[in-house]
Amino acid sequence: MSGYKDTAMAESCFRPGSTLCPGCMEAVAFQNLGRVTDNGIKTIFTIGTSCAEVSTLAFPNVVAWGRGDGPPHDYTKSFAILHNVFESAPTLAEAARDVADTLTRCGALESPVQVVSASGDGGALAIGLRALLHTIHRRARVTILVLVNEIFANTGFQYSPATTPFAETSTTPVGPDFQGNPQMPLDYIHLAIAAGAEIVAQVSPAHGKLYVKTLERCLDAKGTAVVFVPAPCISGWKYEDGQTIELALLGARTGVFPAFVWERGKGGKILDCPVEQSERPAVEEFLGAQRRFQHLVRRNADGKAAVRTGRADDVEQLRAWTQANVERLYHLAELK
Amino acid sequence: MSMAQELTRPMPHVTTPGGERYDRAIDLERVRAAHRVLYSARETLMADGNTAAAIATLQMWRCVIFAGFPITPSTKYIETVAARIAEDPKGLKRIKLLEAEHAVADYMVGASAACRDLIFPTATSSVGLDHMTETTRSLGASGLGNVLLIDVYRATANFPLCIEGDPSDTLAHRDDGFLQIACRGKQQIYDTMIQAPCLGMHHEVLTPVMPGYYGIKDSHRSARLTVEPDLALHAFQDRWIQPCPLPGLINGDTAFGNCVTSRYFQGFKVAQKHRMERALDLLPQIGADFARTFGRPGLAYFDQTGWRDDDSLDIAVVSMGPDFGTLETAGPAFEKKTGLRVAGIAMRLLTPFPSKAVRRRLAGARVVLVVNQAHHYGRGHLTLDVVDALSELDRPPRVVSAFAGMGGADVSEATWEAMLEGAREAHAGSPTPPYRVYHEGRAL
Repeated sequence: MSGYKDTAMAESCFRPGSTLCPGCMEAVAFQNLGRVTDNGIKTIFTIGTSCAEVSTLAFPNVVAWGRGDGPPHDYTKSFAILHNVFESAPTLAEAARDVADTLTRCGALESPVQVVSASGDGGALAIGLRALLHTIHRRARVTILVLVNEIFANTGFQYSPATTPFAETSTTPVGPDFQGNPQMPLDYIHLAIAAGAEIVAQVSPAHGKLYVKTLERCLDAKGTAVVFVPAPCISGWKYEDGQTIELALLGARTGVFPAFVWERGKGGKILDCPVEQSERPAVEEFLGAQRRFQHLVRRNADGKAAVRTGRADDVEQLRAWTQANVERLYHLAELK
Repeated sequence: MSMAQELTRPMPHVTTPGGERYDRAIDLERVRAAHRVLYSARETLMADGNTAAAIATLQMWRCVIFAGFPITPSTKYIETVAARIAEDPKGLKRIKLLEAEHAVADYMVGASAACRDLIFPTATSSVGLDHMTETTRSLGASGLGNVLLIDVYRATANFPLCIEGDPSDTLAHRDDGFLQIACRGKQQIYDTMIQAPCLGMHHEVLTPVMPGYYGIKDSHRSARLTVEPDLALHAFQDRWIQPCPLPGLINGDTAFGNCVTSRYFQGFKVAQKHRMERALDLLPQIGADFARTFGRPGLAYFDQTGWRDDDSLDIAVVSMGPDFGTLETAGPAFEKKTGLRVAGIAMRLLTPFPSKAVRRRLAGARVVLVVNQAHHYGRGHLTLDVVDALSELDRPPRVVSAFAGMGGADVSEATWEAMLEGAREAHAGSPTPPYRVYHEGRAL
């Protein structure tokens, strides 16, 4: 495992040419993943249909993946990427892993291969929950990234099973009788643990060092490693330029998506998010920065978030949900 | 110098339209050396169709991972593979059981893309194939000719649900982009499995292959099967399967997919029809080589019965599947009774449809009776293809369309006779409906 600075200086396989929105957290996640995988091991990357795919493998633009500006003499820097339909990325990765292992077993492949899959939360938790859980259940030795922007962003910001309660999406609108998303999000972290993952994490690149170190641990794992990457979506969450990292930190610190790393046999940790609500920033600070919650919270002239008249009960429900969310992760952290 | 040492040095690489290819990354000879011989000499045994297909794929050194999911009537394929692999736990071959057919299809994409020089077989049927569709339609243009998707025909899109075999499933998937080859009889199933990858993996074709056979009628009924020694089979396949010119995920720097993708693979998709047409040229060559090598008929566009040197005849029959065998006795009986000359072809290559060869074969007939066994919105899949094939003739034969054997029902001699009677009406100049549906010896 290299030092953080070494990793920061490594060559990323995520190259110029993507059409991800400026300020998209997924681009930051891929930049860092690209550096972590520049570790002397050939990389195979699989990707399901998602923003991350349509914006990085878009014909007729260049493919925004690959490594090295020089002649591709070095096989260990070699990078290959395969895209298939929404739910497919974990299964594709598992297949590539199996083939590499089979070739290794008979001596046909001597160089190690690392396999990483990437999906959106729509692809992994809605369309592809079955595929995700079964690849984990089969203990495939792959690293699975789920970029959680809480919506089907690629198709126009519709509800997904990871959408925060009360969030306005294009299929959970806000109106006189509709208050945004009425559903509690799926407990995907618990599902991944229960399915048999070796490592389960929820961490965004806003926690830079933790994110990089977690990815490095995942690539070394003997079983399935799953990283849920909270990914603020500037277009879908409707916030101002330059706030992506701040929102990711606020989301983690307020308890909406706390930074969490768990390893089988060792248990887990929650970072930067105390279990006591009073020790965390108020959830209104997170809500107030996004227009998807503007029916609940508004920004005052001094920049502070304030609950709108008549919405106190709704915000209280959200507060209770974040508290339950934090407590649930603390309980999960105790699992071995 | 070991390969590991070489990997620390710059590795030779070849620039291809699909990216860099590192030929030394995978030593395929190690895979071949790890193959455990199943049959060292030609043997004759009793086997059903699923077992015949399973044996053929198990004998291939390029088949090392067998992905699958059970569905009637293809289940025995994966059961047979599992049982044989369990007999040799130290062998290289592995079975991969997934949660559903859609996952099998995704797995096939990942595996076949990982190493394009290995063959990845699976067997499915009916709604299983439907579940795979999202990905099979992607696979079709992917260039992954090393996918061998065996379809055991079973009625689908029907109610009541039926486990018997009619080819509604495979014909509903004509546009998935696969080369589709129909088999009838256990020997033909076995022989086709051996030849199919030679066609799909040919460097000018690179198209996945979907060989198929009728559920129950062929999948579950046993007959004598001659199996060839593994090494002879390997030598035959190695003559046709050259190293894939395109990089895979393991031996290459490449990027490909199906939704939006690189400039190269968009071009690849555009060239799909050309590659499929190339398969039309290669199929008879592979079939001829197989016949020379093993002494049995190899791949062909169609099987034939009743044809004489003089191509002119009264009624030409076009059909497919094991019920065609009944025509081999019903046809001569009808000739004797009516004095009309009857001959027939049973289609083997369904997709791409060999229009030119069909046109040449049928050109001398006065009436063409097309017997469809799959549900179709109109006159029948085969009928439309045959009519299209004949359309370029100055005086095309009259085409009579029939449906029979729906839902896997047997097409009895009486049913064949009734259909031939319908063709005789047309031969006599009587008006005929666009199609008739036959069952148990009469038009419904």
